[in-house]
Amino acid sequence: MESSLLLPNRYKRLGFIILVPSLLLGILVRFFDFQFSFLSLSFGKSAFNTKNIHLDENINLTDELALTGIIIALLFIAFAREKTEDEYIAHTRLESLKWAVLINYILLLLATWLVHGFAYIDVMMYNMLTVLIIFIIRFNYALNRNKKITE
Amino acid sequence: MKNSIRIERAIKNITQQELAEKIGVSRQTINAIESNKYVPSTVLALKMARLFQKKVDEIFILEETD
Repeated sequence: MESSLLLPNRYKRLGFIILVPSLLLGILVRFFDFQFSFLSLSFGKSAFNTKNIHLDENINLTDELALTGIIIALLFIAFAREKTEDEYIAHTRLESLKWAVLINYILLLLATWLVHGFAYIDVMMYNMLTVLIIFIIRFNYALNRNKKITE
Repeated sequence: MKNSIRIERAIKNITQQELAEKIGVSRQTINAIESNKYVPSTVLALKMARLFQKKVDEIFILEETD
């Protein structure tokens, strides 16, 4: 039974290789206001700026780079085929995805009621990644648990 | 539903790993089926039956709760 929409197994390792530097960069950007100066773009005085629309004249793409790296890496890890991708693994994959979506929205609901003001922007930022992270943890936990009982 | 795969394996004297390789699945799958955590597809059940030279309903047995 061939499951579609999956990447070859080697993408799992590639995902982790991309994840480590992207995550470090993300942490630097988020908590230490780090920026690569060569990623700065300047548009000069924008002709589009009116009293209703304000476009930034200077933007820096370091955070875009970090987030892109993190999302691509997590997608690679989550969607890489297992060495033997069979029907039970496919079943576990689907089960874990169901689980991840549910937990994700429970966390989001809790955060909606418990976190207010600007801090909520942080919640939404982390929430962009939590479905994939919870899925990866749950899926690998389920597979490893079964590996251990085997002997 | 219960199954007698563990017994059939013992008769043939093969490990979970060997059985998994013979029918092209992962070892976790065999383990999950043996411990009644996963009900295999018809295709997989037929492959096992062929390997053990038994009928499918000799290996997989319905229970009252099914």
